[in-house]
Amino acid sequence: MPAFDPEHLQRCLDEMKRRDVDVLVLGREANARYLSGATRLWLAGTRPFGPGCVVVRDRATVHLLSTTDDLVPLSREQLFPMSWNPATIAGALAAIPGVADARRVGVDGMTPLFAQLLRGLLPEAVLVDGEDLLASVRRVKSAADVGAIRAAIGVAEEALRVALSALVPGVRERDLVGAYVEATGGLGVTTPEFDAVFHVVDDDVAGNFATERVVRDGDLVVASVGVLSHGWVGRLARTWPCGKPTKAHRAAVVEWRALRNPLLEQLRPGTTVAELRTQHSAVRGVGTGDELLDDDQVLEPGMVLAARFGHEGVAGEDTFLVTESGATMLTTFPYMPA
Amino acid sequence: MTATTLDAPAVDFTRLRRERLAKLRDAMRANELDALALIGQSNVVYATGARAPAADASLAAHQRMVAVVHADDEWPHLYTAFADGVPPELPADHVHDALPVERDAGAGALAAGLPARNVGIDEYTFALYRVLAGREPKDATPALGAAKVVKTPDEVELIRAAERINEQAMLDVESLLVPGVRATELSGRFLRRIYELGATANTVDPIFQLMPASIDAGPFTLTGDLVFPTVTRDQRFEQGHVIWVDTGINFHGYASDFGRTWIVGNEPDARQRAQFERWREVIDRVAASIRPGATAADLVQSAGEVYGRRPWPSHLYLGHGIGTDSAEMPLVGTDLGPAFDASLTLAPGMIVVLEPIAWEDGYGGYRAEEIVVVTDDGCEFLTRHHYWPFT
Repeated sequence: MPAFDPEHLQRCLDEMKRRDVDVLVLGREANARYLSGATRLWLAGTRPFGPGCVVVRDRATVHLLSTTDDLVPLSREQLFPMSWNPATIAGALAAIPGVADARRVGVDGMTPLFAQLLRGLLPEAVLVDGEDLLASVRRVKSAADVGAIRAAIGVAEEALRVALSALVPGVRERDLVGAYVEATGGLGVTTPEFDAVFHVVDDDVAGNFATERVVRDGDLVVASVGVLSHGWVGRLARTWPCGKPTKAHRAAVVEWRALRNPLLEQLRPGTTVAELRTQHSAVRGVGTGDELLDDDQVLEPGMVLAARFGHEGVAGEDTFLVTESGATMLTTFPYMPA
Repeated sequence: MTATTLDAPAVDFTRLRRERLAKLRDAMRANELDALALIGQSNVVYATGARAPAADASLAAHQRMVAVVHADDEWPHLYTAFADGVPPELPADHVHDALPVERDAGAGALAAGLPARNVGIDEYTFALYRVLAGREPKDATPALGAAKVVKTPDEVELIRAAERINEQAMLDVESLLVPGVRATELSGRFLRRIYELGATANTVDPIFQLMPASIDAGPFTLTGDLVFPTVTRDQRFEQGHVIWVDTGINFHGYASDFGRTWIVGNEPDARQRAQFERWREVIDRVAASIRPGATAADLVQSAGEVYGRRPWPSHLYLGHGIGTDSAEMPLVGTDLGPAFDASLTLAPGMIVVLEPIAWEDGYGGYRAEEIVVVTDDGCEFLTRHHYWPFT
């Protein structure tokens, strides 16, 4: 069940104070999830900016655009209703206590229409970067946050185990996606962080999508999966053989690990994200959604990172918690079949 | 169960992309726009036909494709990280690396490639808003809406094909609906089947909402009206439960929309059958009113009242369009109001998803959805699914 986390709000209020921001008007679902604890209907893809969640600093309140309190752990006074009419939504926004007096307003996106409505509503207010503010708030995780991410990873790993048991000669890449999503549903989770990808390692294929391709005995398949479980991301990737494990697969994984492991030694406070990024690696933050990390971001204890490493078609991704002295791997999935 | 992709629809994808772009250019001219900068993913898909992996909103934003359409250039410019999602006919000098528009560098690069004036943009990241603040770009929405609202025959076929996959998957889910089944198991089976059958992606967390007998017995709402939809949770369904189903998938960029009412383990009783009949009467009345020249207000009027109320929840609508977005113009019967409805005139090739409810407070109700396309003299149903367990 969703829960409101007062620590999240406090971190946000502290950062608003530091940046002299009076009100946040947030459209991005990951920000709304983090602040409200609400589960709203999951939709794939980007959506245009709208005032989905509002934070008023001097009243320490969170307000959410939701017609119902179902799966919304806030009081009814903290809800404002949806409308198809942008002017009506702008009116509801203005009616939130404390909004009309705001001098500096953080927003995490904008549309031409809303820019016009906000200028009419708050002609004197200065708009500042609310996405950057929330990114800095969300970057460092509490123990409870890490527990939620571990639970999400557990779902992704169990579903991946089921999907890989379907990796037999003759199966199509897209059937493996099907096996994976059915397994997450069986575990009570029906929202992905991204559409799972199962693709045969092939020099000629970029491999961003699962296709109709039939997997053959001895093929290596890269499996990339991610769930959004109770609002938290759990993701990982592995390269797995179809059919009996072969010496070739074992050798490829051994080589992959030998090349990847030096990266792990750099996972500690003080390292910059740029130092983790090579032509073979990708690094991102993980939380109530994907987190962009700039190259000059310095690792701090409490950050949770997903690091993907790929070499000659073999790819793997793990999730790590940065600790005081290094990092703890949160993913537990094996790298090759038992 | 043998997993097989459904037969491909008769769609010429090169023609589809060419005709969409031609419509978009016409709309740009009508709106006096020399260039469009698009970052909303459904808009990029519309303008370019490119594909990015489906993802949760924040990941989708961070890996977003960007399109720039110049009025005097035959081809759009596409910025993407996904080489295997680029349409084959797009010239290489129009395909570029991804633009990180979440950051000043990427936003600045996008701005630098735009003309000084008459630029339309669909939405901003904050970095884009900051970079473009002095230039006052116009709202691209009217031009996009004008292009999108009437579908080409290829677009209609893709929506039909998306709906067919959705319906086929539901036949399998229906067989799972027995007392004791968990809602998330239904979602899991549905999701499995759409991928097996050839879906490009899922677009909405499948909704299996357990309906109360009365509004008061359901969740709180600010409107005092019925709550729909609520988010599917891990709960067991029992004998006699009434479930409102709502799902949508993506097929080559186009959305489906499936809605039906199910009863767990029971045949519908006489009252439930009557509710279904009232719902069907609304559909029949509205469908009979759909023809070129009819307005959304005509549809609202033909829907009338059922059980003493307007047959849809106050925060929703009688119907909505569908295309590269799961809900788009024409919106029918929203709180945009009667004047808006009266201003919206149907034309051949427009699509309306009708989703009335027949709600008999105290005794529950029936809800389902029908996708119809406006034809030269009426409308055609794209939804072909049965009304199990009512028929």
